[in-house]
Amino acid sequence: MSLSEYIASRWDLLTQAALEHALVVAISLVIATIIGVGVGMLTYRSPRWAAFAIGTSGGFLTIPSFALLGLLIPFLGLGWGPSVVALVLYSLLPIVRNTVVGLKGVDPAIVEAGRGVGMSAAGVMTRVQLPLAWPVILTGIRVSTQMIIGIAAIAAYVAGPGLGNQIFDGLSRLGSVNALNSALAGTLGVVILAILFDLFYVVIRRLTTARGLRV
Amino acid sequence: MFDTTSGGARIELDGLTKRYPGQAEPAVDGVTLDIPAGELVVFVGPSGCGKTTTMKMINRLIEPTSGTIRIGGTDVLAMRPDELRRHIGYVIQQIGLFPHLTIAENVGLVPGLLKWSKDKIARRVDELLELVGLDPASYRGRYPRQLSGGQQQRIGVARALAADPPVMLMDEPFGATDPITRERLQNEFLRLQRELRKTIIFVTHDFEEAIKLGDRIAVLRESSRIAQYDTPARILAAPADDYVAGFIGSDATLKRLALIPVSVLSPSTSTSTSTTDGLPQIAGSATLRQALDAMVAHGRQEIAVDGRVVTFAEICATVTGEQAGVAGERPVSGVR
Repeated sequence: MSLSEYIASRWDLLTQAALEHALVVAISLVIATIIGVGVGMLTYRSPRWAAFAIGTSGGFLTIPSFALLGLLIPFLGLGWGPSVVALVLYSLLPIVRNTVVGLKGVDPAIVEAGRGVGMSAAGVMTRVQLPLAWPVILTGIRVSTQMIIGIAAIAAYVAGPGLGNQIFDGLSRLGSVNALNSALAGTLGVVILAILFDLFYVVIRRLTTARGLRV
Repeated sequence: MFDTTSGGARIELDGLTKRYPGQAEPAVDGVTLDIPAGELVVFVGPSGCGKTTTMKMINRLIEPTSGTIRIGGTDVLAMRPDELRRHIGYVIQQIGLFPHLTIAENVGLVPGLLKWSKDKIARRVDELLELVGLDPASYRGRYPRQLSGGQQQRIGVARALAADPPVMLMDEPFGATDPITRERLQNEFLRLQRELRKTIIFVTHDFEEAIKLGDRIAVLRESSRIAQYDTPARILAAPADDYVAGFIGSDATLKRLALIPVSVLSPSTSTSTSTTDGLPQIAGSATLRQALDAMVAHGRQEIAVDGRVVTFAEICATVTGEQAGVAGERPVSGVR
């Protein structure tokens, strides 16, 4: 059976796996964005705390993904739980880092003007600083997405959702019928998902960046 | 909010002091100053003398260590800082327009914070754009980056004026513009202030600008200590000490002449009976400095102004104090 015949015959299974893959990535990113932007907002003013936050989120990335997923099993069991937690930890660094960089990059004169006309500190943050830093933060989220789409495949190791099951299943029985097709189809799916996510970000970027910043 | 007269509110500073921890010298040391309602007072002094710090304590962007501030009789330090700042116009050198908001949104920001209705804000924005000389229909929807530096600072002034505050603080607002734009902005601003009569504190290190704009000037030395606080004419005529004199420079008399319109020389004081035929002409709106300039340029001792003759001796007489009071004193509530 050729690869295309294999994909055609397993179409329902593959699209189901791809959707789950996309979903686990999306959920992880939403959580990571909330945590990462929050941590960035709290720490960007203090060089020491900002360095600590970036260092810690960078530290997560150095843990091998197999090890991290395995170590989470005693606490979270198998399936979606450990997968999402691991993916959140892996996506924090670019988001925290870009939030700190983005907020620091806002012209201090603009922040002072905001305070000077009588906006509260929270008002200046939500109405001035975050919108101005947003393009940089969004770039961080996009980088995180690219990273964890690949890593999400490894979540199959803890019986997590997604295309990883196709890949691992195929690799574990290489030489038998359709093993290679299974691994290839899973890998191809991951690549296609990555491209689709990236296109999605192009649209999101256009829709969410204030017009005044694009002129 | 504040007691106001003719558009402005009186500002009283008493023993205003700012100390930063770990610094022996206070940044601002016991400034006591009374600024009458509707006057434009210029703080002038070298960089780092504390003039900006003094100004920022008034809208509490910097909290004073000690001392009191009253605006229109209200104790400013007892107010909520955010609320206070909505009633004080604030213009800075870097302009600080919000690049992601349209011109209308920038100007309408403070009225928005004060919960004005949408209609009222829209009307006010148009009114202000007219006031600063930018056509509302074509500028309302633009973004700051689409405007020139001079236009951006006009919007900066409009934003500060939006909620019609009785007090404005301006920190070298025209400092970053080129000389031609600066001159034009200064002139427009003077015209505006003649109409609005806000109480304005204007910080600059440019003494020429201080003379041109100020009803009064506070010359500051380090730690914001006041070397002299008086009208431009009196500071030029009688600097308090060498420090102030050094600030004025060596052409104090010429600077004074620039403050005096030729119209102060009433026809009756003119002793000359000669005709204006053949004399160089200058406009009646000119200053004595311009009259002198024309005399020197033409090598004459006399000059024609609106059909009458002004002599070199008359100009000299104005600065040696033969005119009543101090020549060049601008009536505070009158026309400049």
